[in-house]
Amino acid sequence: MTAMTAMTAMTAKTMRITCQEQLVPGRTLQEKFDFATAAGFDGIELRGKGGRHFESRLCELTRAKADGVVMPTVCVDMPHFIGDFSAELRRDAIDQLRSQLSVIAELGGLGVMTPASWGQFSLRLPPFEPPRPPAEDRAVLLDALTELGEHAAALDVLIMLEPLNRYENHMVNTLAQAVELCRATGLGSVRAVGDTYHMNIEEDDPCSALAEAAPHLAHMQVSESNRHQPGTGHLDWAAHLATLDAIGYHGDLALECRLRGEPETALPQTAAFLRMFL
Amino acid sequence: MIPPAQAPARPTTIAEPSAEEAGIRRGAIRVLLANWTGAYTVPSRRLYPHQWSWDSAFIAIGAARWSPRRARTELMTLFGGQWRDGRVPHIVFNPAVPEDAYFPGPAFWQATAPSGARTSGIVQPPVHALAAWRVHLADPDRAFLYRIYPRLEAQHRFLRTSRRMSGSELVSIVHPWESGMDNSPIWDAPLAKVAAPHMRERRRDLAHVAAGERPTDRDYARYTAIAAAYRDAGYTGRTGFVVEDPLFNALYGAAEAALARIAAVVDADPAPHLRRAEEITQAMLERLWDPSGGIFRARDARTGEILPEDSVAGLVPLILPGLPADVADRLVATAVTRFGLKDGTLLPSYPPGGAAFEPARYWRGPSWLNTSWLVLEGLRATDPGLAHRLGAQVLRAVREAGFREYFNPFTGEGHGCGDFGWSAALALDVLADPALRAQYRLDRVPAPLGQLDQQRGGVVEGGDLGDQVLA
Repeated sequence: MTAMTAMTAMTAKTMRITCQEQLVPGRTLQEKFDFATAAGFDGIELRGKGGRHFESRLCELTRAKADGVVMPTVCVDMPHFIGDFSAELRRDAIDQLRSQLSVIAELGGLGVMTPASWGQFSLRLPPFEPPRPPAEDRAVLLDALTELGEHAAALDVLIMLEPLNRYENHMVNTLAQAVELCRATGLGSVRAVGDTYHMNIEEDDPCSALAEAAPHLAHMQVSESNRHQPGTGHLDWAAHLATLDAIGYHGDLALECRLRGEPETALPQTAAFLRMFL
Repeated sequence: MIPPAQAPARPTTIAEPSAEEAGIRRGAIRVLLANWTGAYTVPSRRLYPHQWSWDSAFIAIGAARWSPRRARTELMTLFGGQWRDGRVPHIVFNPAVPEDAYFPGPAFWQATAPSGARTSGIVQPPVHALAAWRVHLADPDRAFLYRIYPRLEAQHRFLRTSRRMSGSELVSIVHPWESGMDNSPIWDAPLAKVAAPHMRERRRDLAHVAAGERPTDRDYARYTAIAAAYRDAGYTGRTGFVVEDPLFNALYGAAEAALARIAAVVDADPAPHLRRAEEITQAMLERLWDPSGGIFRARDARTGEILPEDSVAGLVPLILPGLPADVADRLVATAVTRFGLKDGTLLPSYPPGGAAFEPARYWRGPSWLNTSWLVLEGLRATDPGLAHRLGAQVLRAVREAGFREYFNPFTGEGHGCGDFGWSAALALDVLADPALRAQYRLDRVPAPLGQLDQQRGGVVEGGDLGDQVLA
């Protein structure tokens, strides 16, 4: 199934809930998927490490797919990103993502998500002045997203940009900033990801931000105000999930968080909690 | 033979929500999202850019269906504009909105609440206790009731002590705007007795809505004159317009009944509220019930005369607790015969056979969803079939014309502003029948935690997976 047919198929359904693979017990993806579905999830979100590691999992992933494991998305899990200050590391990040896009396309998934960068610089922490001016940040990101978007378009998958909060990234913090970059590429294969944790720090009104980003929103990650699982903090889940429904979002809600409690109890509770509002 | 498993008890008449219903729900939430300011919901971004008292109550009733937290905030912020005497002003102004965006604005009213909020000085029908109770039912929260109960109690104390002007239990309004239905033909007679000076101020409403759908200049001048006189008297005492309104008093009574329920939850004494609710119903029957017309009518408290015109306000007492069955039956008959409720039309604000009927002008005929909702709530006990039909008509109106401010009762054509807050909120409430909601939940029971299956693939090497979450 291609990304576009996956998107079309999803319009007929309600939102799915998936869980990042490292949160689920199990030695294999099949075991993890069984655990996740028994806990009330619909699928797994994969993590894409660098050093061509994700590519090296192709055999494992193909077998998992043959066994019915649902794993539509990849969340990047690398030490450097497309917005790195070093041209060499940027190039490597783009190459890794190209490879990850090819793998997820092979698996018939939706796409790969990445932040502009993570842990590289914060305008709110010393030394406050980044080594690169904002205009160059934007140019660097636009180049990378355009290259990745063209690659993704050829494979019929999506490259998805995730805004992070101000302490983890200094370039793309809000959905509006991500959407602006998506638009600037002029490519339908470059889309935005919302993460409820980062949004609760950065967005004036997370629900309005989702509504405004609606046409470009391809994926959601869910986690609480405290970065633990939904239901442990103070986000208004009723409002968030009703908003996603109201704007016609039919993508996945991927659980990306630090799990409080043991997965055996925390995961079923989290899925049940989210489904209360779907 | 094993008998088939008994299906869980579900109301058989309720179907899965249709795509159409889901479409209305999504549209309504989008309107409420767009009108939300972070602390409350504006009735309309353009025509009404501040917080209105009874709008917020109706919006909270609908918001309880999708974000109870926003519903609680909506009510708490409104009560942030409450005065020391307990009155809840009909507008709490947003300081960020320019003075000239709405007339009459803060400069006209010259009123500041103890919280520092600029407000108007008149009130609107007290739907708030009812709204607070509905919000609590949607998402039980005793802490919320503990916080809002004393404020609601103070709101009612103000009405009881400052607005009982005829010696009965009924309260009076001192401005047509306080009825919430200011341009209704009922007010033509008492309003005609008010001198209409030349209006110097410029109206803002006509910039957004056609003049044919709004009050006339002459009436607007009278509204302004009454409000200015009340203001200049320090917002106390009588004005040239003092009326006992059936809608206002019916809500006052229904709200006392709601206060009794709230009191029971917050360890206060419900008895005084129950007693007052009974007394209000009794006084309504004695002073405003017209047995020959089969409808409740307003009384001019200055002259003691019953006002000649009827409106949908006269049907709203259907929500009164303890209304005698024969009176309720007469009201239903009036709704069907004179307001055409059975013909598949929307519930008009003024009887179509009346001399002053205009299907598109503000409160002189068009259908409004808040009065329709109040009558619908009243019909639930008396005539559930008719209530259901009215609910269907409400949904049809918003589906065909959008969430407009008001609707032509015959054609369903939308009038006034678009993306109107309570039209969206109350449509949500009509959609979210409790039985239907229970059914949604039944479908969402998570799968039980099963056992791990046998290994079927390659083994993931230790360290293959990072567990670093981006945070």
